[in-house]
Amino acid sequence: MTMRQVVWALAAAAGSVLGAQEPAPQQPSEVAVVISGDPGTPPRYAVPDFISLTPDAAGLAKTVGQVLWDDLAFEREFYLIPRDTYATIPVARSPDQVPFAAWRELGSDAVVFGTIARTGNDVRVEVRLFNIRTRQSVFSKEYTGSANNPRLYAHTIADEIHQQQRALRGVARTKIAFSSDRNRERMVGTVENRDVKEIYIADYDGANARRITTSRQLNLTPVWSPDARAIAYTSYRRGYPDLFVALIYQGVQEEPTRGGTQNWLPMFSPDGTRIVFTSSRDGNPELYLMNRDGTGLRRLTTHPAIDTSPTWSPTGTQIAFTSDRAGTPQIYIVGADGLNLRRLTTAESYADRPTWSPAPFNEIAFAARTGPGYDIKVYDLATGATRQITFGEGSNESPTYAPNGRHLAFTSTRTGRSQIFTLGRDGRGLRQVTRDGNNNTPAWSN
Amino acid sequence: MPKVIASAPNAGGRHQRGRRVGPTLSEINVVPLVDVMLVLLIIFMVAAPMLQRGVEVNLPVASRSQEIASDRVFVDLPASYREDRRVYIDKEPVRLDFLAERVRQVMLNRTDKLVYLRGDGEVNLQELMEVFDRLKEAGIQNVGIVSRLPGEQ
Repeated sequence: MTMRQVVWALAAAAGSVLGAQEPAPQQPSEVAVVISGDPGTPPRYAVPDFISLTPDAAGLAKTVGQVLWDDLAFEREFYLIPRDTYATIPVARSPDQVPFAAWRELGSDAVVFGTIARTGNDVRVEVRLFNIRTRQSVFSKEYTGSANNPRLYAHTIADEIHQQQRALRGVARTKIAFSSDRNRERMVGTVENRDVKEIYIADYDGANARRITTSRQLNLTPVWSPDARAIAYTSYRRGYPDLFVALIYQGVQEEPTRGGTQNWLPMFSPDGTRIVFTSSRDGNPELYLMNRDGTGLRRLTTHPAIDTSPTWSPTGTQIAFTSDRAGTPQIYIVGADGLNLRRLTTAESYADRPTWSPAPFNEIAFAARTGPGYDIKVYDLATGATRQITFGEGSNESPTYAPNGRHLAFTSTRTGRSQIFTLGRDGRGLRQVTRDGNNNTPAWSN
Repeated sequence: MPKVIASAPNAGGRHQRGRRVGPTLSEINVVPLVDVMLVLLIIFMVAAPMLQRGVEVNLPVASRSQEIASDRVFVDLPASYREDRRVYIDKEPVRLDFLAERVRQVMLNRTDKLVYLRGDGEVNLQELMEVFDRLKEAGIQNVGIVSRLPGEQ
């Protein structure tokens, strides 16, 4: 949502005409807008490079085509025909030149035709989606804005195609926040020479990584506010863990707990008005609730064991968390009013970092010990069944759900260092998001 | 399940600082396996209703042809291939450049990596190998060559 607003803002700043222009339907009542594939198979999409209408837009045109291919492949709703098979198909310079017969011969059900024109730092992107069988355009849009981030046009097109063709909320414009040591700075003001971790945000595919904090201390466990404009995180900048909220588009920092006590692992409520977090202010780690500005503090759990790592249910009425009150860390659920506490996991030797899936899936993902490391498991709240989605490749921890519930991001050591990966909730479609430094504790934005 | 890599003196020293756990390195090398498997599984068969619209394929004759089931993927290689470099999947023309991708699409929902090739008797070995190349590129491990009984049409 936010990124979309950024496009609009950029376009408005450029003083250009903005928005989508739907062409008049040729047969208003009869045109089938949804492209279907052969019975029993997903529709097959071809996404060639966009056409550069001005000489300086060639690089942009290639980027947009490739990113759109990746975005459409990510949701696995379509079969994306590999781009290296397009080489012998003639390049269309205008929509009426699209070689439908050749695309059909390649097995394609749908083909994207797009153009990019650049004037100074402004670009104009036009895109159409053609049904190969009927040779009709079923989707036609036009975007204007800055040339600084061409990937955003591809992300926007992918989300709109998923919405129109599949009534699916795509995640191509979402972001992932994480904690990373990739800048290789060292801690200041200490005798020891220690690594620091700063909070970063990046596109869901790892591109456009941006640093959020600059404190040269340990900054950990970022979480997004529901409007994706603020990030709450744990920082050791005072020498002990405390909570901070960064308004990333304003460059403003809030300190709701205001120091003095140890607080960590914040999580925004689904309506964004409250924060649940862990604090040892009364002796041992317990869960606390407060309003976003730090007022209305209320203690949620009361037990001599450790209660930590809270996550909200999508409706905001319940909180899942980790507690070792039974001897080992296990997942529990408690009402947001502190009542109706119950234990969830019973078959695990060690379960931590629960995260509650957004609708329509009512499930909780967590990290469970399986041998030397951890794997991601998913607890289905309707049936009580647990399924495993990673299988012992490195240690896999800190799951977080995409806003449409279809994917998870997590930290894995399967390639050596600690990196962030995304995976479908069925355990398929693994993608590596980060490659630089060590990257931990991802959080997926709305 | 990761295995602790035994500390041999010169084995992957970079990957085992401390008590580092690494992924197991034992994977079947598929490439030579595919090479061997692609040696033809020649299946003789009675020519089923063959010559549908468009494609005319004169199957080679073999006196020991056998029936094969109909739920198979057939690739037709007619004599006209020499002119237009096109083969046929389910009676649909496909140029050679696209054959690997089209076969990959067909194979998505199948577990047997097997196609039957209905080649014309006129097709020469060079042309046959071009088609085999593309089938191999698509991950096909076995190709059955279809024939007909003497005197059969």
